[in-house]
Amino acid sequence: MSHETFDLLGRLRSSGRRAAMATLVRTIGTTPRKEGSKMFVGDDGAIFGSVTIGGCVDARVIEEAAGVLASNDPQLFQLDLGDEDAWELGLTCGGSVEVLVEPLSAALLEQYATAERAWNEGRSVALVTMLDSGERLLVDGSLPSALQGVELPRQSRTIAVDERSAYVEILQPPARLLIFGAGALAMPLVTFANELGFRTIVIDPRERFASRERFPRAGEIRVGIATEIASQIGMNASTSVVLVAHDVKIDLPVLKLALATDAPYIGLLGSRRRGAAIRQMLREENVDEAQLQRIRTPIGLDIGGETVAEIALSIVSEVVAVMRGRNGGPMSAR
Amino acid sequence: MNPYSEIVQEHYRHPRNFGALEKPDIRHELANPLCGDRVRIEVALADDGRVRAARFQGDLCSIAKAAASLLTELIVGRTLDALPDEQQLVDALRTELKPSRRKCALLPLDALRAGADAFTRR
Repeated sequence: MSHETFDLLGRLRSSGRRAAMATLVRTIGTTPRKEGSKMFVGDDGAIFGSVTIGGCVDARVIEEAAGVLASNDPQLFQLDLGDEDAWELGLTCGGSVEVLVEPLSAALLEQYATAERAWNEGRSVALVTMLDSGERLLVDGSLPSALQGVELPRQSRTIAVDERSAYVEILQPPARLLIFGAGALAMPLVTFANELGFRTIVIDPRERFASRERFPRAGEIRVGIATEIASQIGMNASTSVVLVAHDVKIDLPVLKLALATDAPYIGLLGSRRRGAAIRQMLREENVDEAQLQRIRTPIGLDIGGETVAEIALSIVSEVVAVMRGRNGGPMSAR
Repeated sequence: MNPYSEIVQEHYRHPRNFGALEKPDIRHELANPLCGDRVRIEVALADDGRVRAARFQGDLCSIAKAAASLLTELIVGRTLDALPDEQQLVDALRTELKPSRRKCALLPLDALRAGADAFTRR
């Protein structure tokens, strides 16, 4: 979610226009989006983002934003989420949400710019907003004295601080997608993964393939010995690993390294037969059975992908499904 | 049926001298730009100019890895002007190589020669 926020703020900064920022700070019951969703409403009527998925609530927030911009005072609104729609569908009720709408002042933009710098350096930061006063504190590392003893949540949400409500916005650094192999399939993979907010890193021994011309939007391109690069970068719980080199000299040693980490997703391009052969080679190198089961091969979700773009889509979809703890089946079958 | 000799299979599965030296006198990395074989050869020389130790690292196919492993064994004790030539290395692999795989086999030697040239020009 953080990359969306920073992208939207960047667009507003470059537009130079005044704007109000609406943030979903509390949800009650069933809601289509979670705390942290943002919408920006410019004084020219331009709208970026959404706090729900459209409908009456977003319309109401847009209306309120005009008042906030006129008065320059933040407002906290509680809004019922589509009770009319829920009633028409025969449901008992929708959820309700609290939305903080505030003018995007220079000071606020500066706080987000500071947060973005820390975020870009790979640190998770928090912005704590006291909902009664609008006072905002940036937490980058240790807690400031005003928040001593407070346990910050892992996800954005409203908490109680000394009997006051405080919205804690957690800005987590982007999950990383390590792509081993800079062939044709890696190109749409980078495109899709970037759009999803991953920091993409393309790794290949071949300069001619792992080039900026071929990957203009890759977060990083590394040419060299794959295992060395993988060790330098490091893999952890926020690193997904995709092996699309289709080359055993890269697949085997990188898999061995990746399986020794807690990388949540490890996907290997190739047939079931190839995957079984590589598992067997790893077994012979004393990689245990439970670890071997973490390798997803054939890679991707079964969407019938034939073109490289379709296969790339199936791969990033599987990465997202794994990160969200889902199996990737159709929503209609849930 | 495995197309490679026992010596290639043995050196591929159990490569000798795979790793790095702490203070190499020669260090050179070379890649095949299309297939992606990439090797780094490191050599430490004794006071008399003979190879005291050699190591290699890299992402290498079976032939290239076996050749690098064999090469690092073959050169110990030799001076830089007496390194094995291409045919000697290919012969040591005891495998008939197609022209396309000959490049793989010779990549470690090319890396070693380039590193040795750079060292002697210093």
